[in-house]
Amino acid sequence: MLNLPLDIHEQEKAVEENIPSVKEGRLKTYSPDGENVKKLLSLLKTRLTRQVVGSMVGCVHCGMCTDSCHYALARPDDPTMAPAYKADQIRRIFKKHFDWTGRIVPWWVHADDPKDDEDLNRLKNIVFGTCTGCRRCTFNCPMGVDTATLVRLTRGLLSELGIVPEGVFQVSRDQWETGNQMAVSEQDYIDTIEWMEEESQDELEDPSLRIPIDKEDCDFMYTVNPREIKYDPRSLGAAAKIFHLAGESWTMPKWGWDMTNFGLFSGDDKLGGFVARNLYEAAKRLRAKRIVISECGHGYRSSRWEGYNWGKYKQDIPSESVLITLIRYINEGRIKVDPSKNSLPITFHDSCNIARSGDLTEEPRWLLQRLCTDFREMHPNRADNFCCTGGGGALSMVEYKPLRMEVAKIKADQLAATGAKIVCTICHNCIDGLTDVIKHYQLDMKVVQILELVENALVLPKK
Amino acid sequence: MSEFLRVLENEVQIVALSFMAIVYIVRLLWMFHFTASQENTTPVGNSKAGISYSMMNVVMPWTMESTRTHWPFYIQFVIFHLGVILGIAATFIIPYGPGLFEIKSVVILFQIVLTAATVVGIIRLIRRITNPVMRLISTPDDYFSLVLMTLFFASGVFAVPNTYQVSEWPLILFFMMTTFFLIYVPFSKISHYLYYPFTRYFLGKTMGHRGVFPRKTGGEMPAGLQ
Repeated sequence: MLNLPLDIHEQEKAVEENIPSVKEGRLKTYSPDGENVKKLLSLLKTRLTRQVVGSMVGCVHCGMCTDSCHYALARPDDPTMAPAYKADQIRRIFKKHFDWTGRIVPWWVHADDPKDDEDLNRLKNIVFGTCTGCRRCTFNCPMGVDTATLVRLTRGLLSELGIVPEGVFQVSRDQWETGNQMAVSEQDYIDTIEWMEEESQDELEDPSLRIPIDKEDCDFMYTVNPREIKYDPRSLGAAAKIFHLAGESWTMPKWGWDMTNFGLFSGDDKLGGFVARNLYEAAKRLRAKRIVISECGHGYRSSRWEGYNWGKYKQDIPSESVLITLIRYINEGRIKVDPSKNSLPITFHDSCNIARSGDLTEEPRWLLQRLCTDFREMHPNRADNFCCTGGGGALSMVEYKPLRMEVAKIKADQLAATGAKIVCTICHNCIDGLTDVIKHYQLDMKVVQILELVENALVLPKK
Repeated sequence: MSEFLRVLENEVQIVALSFMAIVYIVRLLWMFHFTASQENTTPVGNSKAGISYSMMNVVMPWTMESTRTHWPFYIQFVIFHLGVILGIAATFIIPYGPGLFEIKSVVILFQIVLTAATVVGIIRLIRRITNPVMRLISTPDDYFSLVLMTLFFASGVFAVPNTYQVSEWPLILFFMMTTFFLIYVPFSKISHYLYYPFTRYFLGKTMGHRGVFPRKTGGEMPAGLQ
């Protein structure tokens, strides 16, 4: 059991600085006024949907979810790692207030209230520290109980009370304040794009290559992960080259370009809706025919699926993963690739948010079969794959890293068994998660994304 | 047959069954008073196909890793629930179709299944007590429901011959347990079958809409080519 105290250093700083999101009440901070338990209960009442209630009452405690969780598998002697136990921490509160039996004879069904903020902090450590929301338990529950949804719901309630890990607060703050989760300024964003435009022009020896910003009436608006702007813009350069060679009409928006969404991890639907709407409204403003989402697991899930519901925004423009765009290019002969340029053995890691909560499992494989000469399937795979261990915002919560690395043994064993030298993934979180696993368990592997493999395999037209 | 047993098999059961039905109706109304989340996205897959797939998972153990890799547990599940079905069937056959239990092979079939279900109930109880995870997550209701079910199966083994001429006690015991069940079940975990359609429907609907259900196994046409 994790027993880490609540750290509110960053929250105090934000209050002191009187930042707009805190001042306007969009971003909640912790208040030790003794009312937090009461507030949590009243918030819970407002968050109960039919789907959530089904998962609250449907668990029969059969324990079938236990072996599906990488935390539980890696820590077989710690029963608190079982998904059913984690979900029961919110379920017991629900039972105490909404279930007939729980209200009358609470001890009979383990219905209970949190007593104080100490209990809420304990709940925080469970839902943020021992679950990446990968949904593997959901897919293995005979009853169809969506434990990951209950965990996210609980995270959302705690976010409203400011009882969250420091990292979650910081990233939420940045996304509220700047519209992107890494607080990239507009100038840095534009500078990076211009830099990548020049680099790509040089590499292709083609000065006509452009990365258009805010161009109207294009075939698609391309949205990226701030990590691509701030830390590793090579993927943006690769995309620019590919789109240029394919003769694409595309643009990037000046505002609303962040397709990631920390609302998915913090459980804050308001933040989720705000970020997602920025993106949808940017596409509408630019009259783009499509939204293309670069490689990112939670970004794809948030922008393609959840964001419309959080933002109560009826989808009006089609959206797709860049993988589908790439498939179209290769299939239509708009770009040519040579698989012999990627000759090292490659395996593929399915991102949880895409394989279990999205819809793309065959698409990356179709591409990989055309991009490399030695593709090796990882087992289990597709919707049965294990989390990279960095999902659910885990990478931003450094305090839980020792446990994350301990349970990463499951992923490390899975990776090592493939014998591959390269693991390909279509998620930025997974890149960092897998890189941590590879480093910690000293595996002889590197992590790449599809765009990088396509770029490497490109057959350039003769001038 | 004594008047006590006759009333127990008939009027008492009808009253208890009516009580259960009323409680379940209230329970369903309670479930429906919660708003269902709305979907605002354009589909990739088919919600109806997803719902069918999700609902049918109970008879498709190969689709879930948890049942695929723990097949003895799945077999136990099948036996246990067959016991439930036959046990409930017996509560109707004895008072309203006793002729069926005059066929020896039918009685033997019921007794075999109910005995097997009793054994499974005992195995499950042992697992719940000895496995640290199961012990941690189990509530008194979990233990009580399992013990109750196991006793119900066991009493059913002796009740299905329906030989009240020899002794009424097995039947009295069986129908007293049934009465208690009908009143207790709506307030216990045993009523999970009422929630199963909700949870599996919503999971199937969402995953079907997104094209995740039915699960892909390889070889499906990628989206960009469709």
